[in-house]
Amino acid sequence: MSSQKKRNFQIEAFKHRVVVDPKYAEKTWKILEHAIHEIYNHNASGLSFEELYRNAYNMVLHKFGEKLYSGLVSTMTEHLKEIAASVEASQGPLFLEELNTKWMEHNKALQMIRDILMYMDRTYIPSTHKTPVHKLGLNLWRDNIVYSINIQTRLKDTLLEIVQKERNGEVINRGLMRNIVKMLMDLGPSVYQQDFEQPFLDVSANFYRGESQHFIECCDCGEYLKKAEKRLNEEIDRVAHYLDVKSEVKITNVVEKEMIESQMNRLVHMENSGLVNMIVDDKYDDLGRIYNLFRRVSNGLALIRDVMTSHIRETGKELVIDPERVKDPVEFVQRLLEEKDKHDKIINLAFNNDKTFQNALNSSFEYFINLNPRSPEFISLFVDDKLRKGLKGVTEEDVEVALDKVMMLFRYLQEKDVFEKYYKQHLAKRLLSGKSVSEDAERSLILKLKTECGYQFTSKLEGMFTDMKTSQDTMQGFYESMGHMLSDGPTLTVHVLTTGSWPTQSTTTCNLPPEILTVCDKFKTYYLGTHNGRRLTWQTNMGSADIKATFSRGQKHELNVSTYQMCVLMLFNNADGLSYKEIEQAVEIPTLELKRCLQSLACAKGKNVLRKEPMSKDVSEDDEFFFNEKFSSKFYKVKIGTVVAQKESEPEKQETRQRVEEDRKPQIEAAVVRIMKARRVLDHNNIVAEVTKQLQSRFLPNPVVIKKRIESLIEREFLERDRDDRKLYRYLA
Amino acid sequence: MAIQKDRVRFNVGGKIFETTATTLAIAGRESYFAAMFDENWDLQTNPAGEYFIDRNPDCFSILLDLLRTGELYIPPNVPEKLLYREALFYGLTDHIRSAKWGQFDGNRLHPLKSVTGRAPGDGTAIRASPDGGCCVAHGSMVHIYDWMLEEHPPINLDYQRVNDAGWVGSGDPTGLVISTCERLGRGQGGMGLFNSTTGELRYKFNVTHENVVKSYTAGALCFNDGCNLFSSCKGRSNEYGIGVWDQNTGQQVDFFYEPHGWSLGDADKLQWLNGSNCLLVATLFPRKDNCYISLLDFRSKSMVWSWSDMWSPANSDDRRVRDAIAMEENSSICVVNEFEDLGFMDLRRESGSVRWSSRSRLMKGKMPDEPCYPKLALHEGQLFSSMNDCISVFCGSDWVLTSRLRRSFGGSICDFSIGGDRLFALHSEENVFDIWETPPPSIV
Repeated sequence: MSSQKKRNFQIEAFKHRVVVDPKYAEKTWKILEHAIHEIYNHNASGLSFEELYRNAYNMVLHKFGEKLYSGLVSTMTEHLKEIAASVEASQGPLFLEELNTKWMEHNKALQMIRDILMYMDRTYIPSTHKTPVHKLGLNLWRDNIVYSINIQTRLKDTLLEIVQKERNGEVINRGLMRNIVKMLMDLGPSVYQQDFEQPFLDVSANFYRGESQHFIECCDCGEYLKKAEKRLNEEIDRVAHYLDVKSEVKITNVVEKEMIESQMNRLVHMENSGLVNMIVDDKYDDLGRIYNLFRRVSNGLALIRDVMTSHIRETGKELVIDPERVKDPVEFVQRLLEEKDKHDKIINLAFNNDKTFQNALNSSFEYFINLNPRSPEFISLFVDDKLRKGLKGVTEEDVEVALDKVMMLFRYLQEKDVFEKYYKQHLAKRLLSGKSVSEDAERSLILKLKTECGYQFTSKLEGMFTDMKTSQDTMQGFYESMGHMLSDGPTLTVHVLTTGSWPTQSTTTCNLPPEILTVCDKFKTYYLGTHNGRRLTWQTNMGSADIKATFSRGQKHELNVSTYQMCVLMLFNNADGLSYKEIEQAVEIPTLELKRCLQSLACAKGKNVLRKEPMSKDVSEDDEFFFNEKFSSKFYKVKIGTVVAQKESEPEKQETRQRVEEDRKPQIEAAVVRIMKARRVLDHNNIVAEVTKQLQSRFLPNPVVIKKRIESLIEREFLERDRDDRKLYRYLA
Repeated sequence: MAIQKDRVRFNVGGKIFETTATTLAIAGRESYFAAMFDENWDLQTNPAGEYFIDRNPDCFSILLDLLRTGELYIPPNVPEKLLYREALFYGLTDHIRSAKWGQFDGNRLHPLKSVTGRAPGDGTAIRASPDGGCCVAHGSMVHIYDWMLEEHPPINLDYQRVNDAGWVGSGDPTGLVISTCERLGRGQGGMGLFNSTTGELRYKFNVTHENVVKSYTAGALCFNDGCNLFSSCKGRSNEYGIGVWDQNTGQQVDFFYEPHGWSLGDADKLQWLNGSNCLLVATLFPRKDNCYISLLDFRSKSMVWSWSDMWSPANSDDRRVRDAIAMEENSSICVVNEFEDLGFMDLRRESGSVRWSSRSRLMKGKMPDEPCYPKLALHEGQLFSSMNDCISVFCGSDWVLTSRLRRSFGGSICDFSIGGDRLFALHSEENVFDIWETPPPSIV
């Protein structure tokens, strides 16, 4: 293609070019060269900026740009060589000082040179693709000073040595360090990285490898972490004071890798001071430190979490299956709550409320609470205890807090329906015996259960409250309309309970004393007169009575007893002594209940209004009972409890369990039908999976039970098996 | 004294000027004044308390006014060229440029002037440079004009016909790539990178086939952001296709050979699509009997989209595609026929048909004797189409015609180019080109 000589010039302006003095360029350059010398020699005050700028401009204008540029390069190089010699000659600690001074001077000179050569920088340099003056000055400094054989290694070693001194606790001149490091950065990222950063990182890695070895041998976990944290902060501080900000990530990575990651497992499992010890001793500071440090390395938090999880599961398991602890349900739940509080506090104070840690804690609790099948019962008992007496004299907020905590435990339960069952029983007892401390608290808890599990879960519980309220109104109505006919017979309070809302009990009738029976019949007449088409059945096993009794020396007491006990005691109005058989015949109370009732009347110390012969703890069918005239008590009112285990007895437990299982059947069937109605065709495994998913908010259905339910549904022709594939079920509309 | 501190007195060529440091600060870091007031200098005033500058006082007064007001007013007795030279001395050319013309808007363009060339024959191409200058290719010469429309020494390419030219761009403001025809028997031709101020050839872009350097004819040019240069190439035997070079080293980095039954080496237009990393290649009538438009993906070495009128029924002579441009935001290609009807093709559909938006009925019967083929350009959402002696501007999502640029002088427009906030239109007959620019935002 083209060659230079064939180009035809067509520029008018140059046709009448003035012939310039042939020595013009040389003369002008001499002036500029002299100026550059003067600038480097700190003698610039005599120079005229205007003249120098104009001269440089003219040289470029008259096509002597090349001469100007090469002249600049050689003059500057000459000066830099002198500077290099003086820096090399400096002794010991003066080396960096001298380098810094010269660097400052060079920068100033470079700025002034660039000022006078600005026109060249703007026009000649871009069109010839040369290096601009400022960059040129830096490059020449780099090549002549920093890369000089006698300086390069010495500079690097000096810098690293100073860093090491600082690590050993000596005070160094940080300002000087900052200037020198800044110089390396100004010369380009590669200079900083190659001549300082990389060696610095290598040396640091070595240093921290050694130090971590030393520390791990002679420190406990907490101490080690304190030292590691201190080192880490020192490095961050160092970067902030005199290194490139980009180095922070790199150097902290080195510290993290050498001091934390490599010793991670050993630290966590360190004997007597590891993570488990910190948790047990609630060392929030140490735990916070381990969290913050381990967070910096990959898998660090996972390690902490795993160790914490297995520790919680371990201790939790011990807690729930320890036969000692299972004895007292309230104590049992209290311990669970304390355990939860403890770990919540750790996560809150030390683990930054980390969601993954909270999840680990929750899954651990869920794991071990369900290890004990009685947990639902115990939690309900705990609530029962709180609502009976525990909340007396406690503010509303505290009640809320306590109930919230219970709800949290409730969430961990897999068998929520079992809890419901027990809760219903306990609630019924509280309501009927009037033992509930606060209706607000009761309702608040039901509201919480409702938000947690939905309307269905609590509708019956709410029904119980409605019944209580309606009964009050009914009683008022009864006394208003019938009061005049009752004269001074016993006062009757009736709770009309809707069937289904209350825990069903086998209706065990008994023979009520005639005085009571009269009133009861009157009530029945009244009630059925106001409510058409209803049936009333007396639940004598759930009632209570206040009766007045006069003992020897005219001592009067009011006895608070159950309906059964009342029936028994009323017999003694007409007789001083009765045999077991006689009593049984008269009252027709089921044997077990009767025995219990007699036991509480005759055997409880301080409450023995009856006297049994022979004296013994248990009631047998040959016993004789007498009115205990010598009974005395400091109180006017005496409450005679029923001897009944607070916890359920083994057969009762079995019964409840069975009832729960029975209740689950229709729920499982409903779920199966719902799913099949939507899917039409599904295989066995998928049905089981979906049913489990649908029901897990209430309980964890057993696959075997699900299978049985499916079979039952097939029998009843809701579903059929596919003819070809026996694993497939079809929905029959 | 506090007020005095801000005041500065200059003696420029014997005339006294008084201004403030605040006004001078507007000149910016890269100016004479910034250098002069650099704290390292121990500046001396003359006994009268003035700083002396040995320059033209008239120009200084204009430039000082520019710094004071941001407006440029050149009295008739001061030649523009002189003022530009002085601005260059003080480092104020950027101030002049932004005072002279504003940000490009196709609907607010005003003609600045017409420049008459002296080349024989029709112009081939005009290309705006990023800084507001341009180059014009005529036959075997390329004329170069800077932003002051000052002509630089032209570049000739050993008198081979120039096919296209292109500015390398912001990284190298003086770099100009020129593509030429092959000269038979001499192994010359092809492409070279030139310095637009000095006219020096920096290096040639060679095509090598099986490790042998081949001579070739370079056609249309295109650059991408990744410093690659694309050109359509026609060699002696196998070297038909699109070549790719690294524009910083001049080394060939890739070559897309022309598939059988398709045309790439004769392409009239190349366009790099940043979003999809593809190259649009269009070969158009009358260079070939049929039109071929395709999108090439160099990573997979495949033609990812293609369209040709050889597939459509031969009835539509008046629907010949004369130029094509890809519009990435709309995922479509816009084409134009010789009656300036715009047509659109959907890039998301494989080989779709052209959806014409017909305007030709308005134009029919008004055809000049010597028509020019229409050309298309796209700039910041505005579509430009040249047809005969005027350029139409289309805007909005429906491409509504919003402006027409027309100057009566010079005959049909054979090429135009937008760059450096200016539009350059090259006329065929009289070898004239017009410069259009947007006025600067008004001060008041």
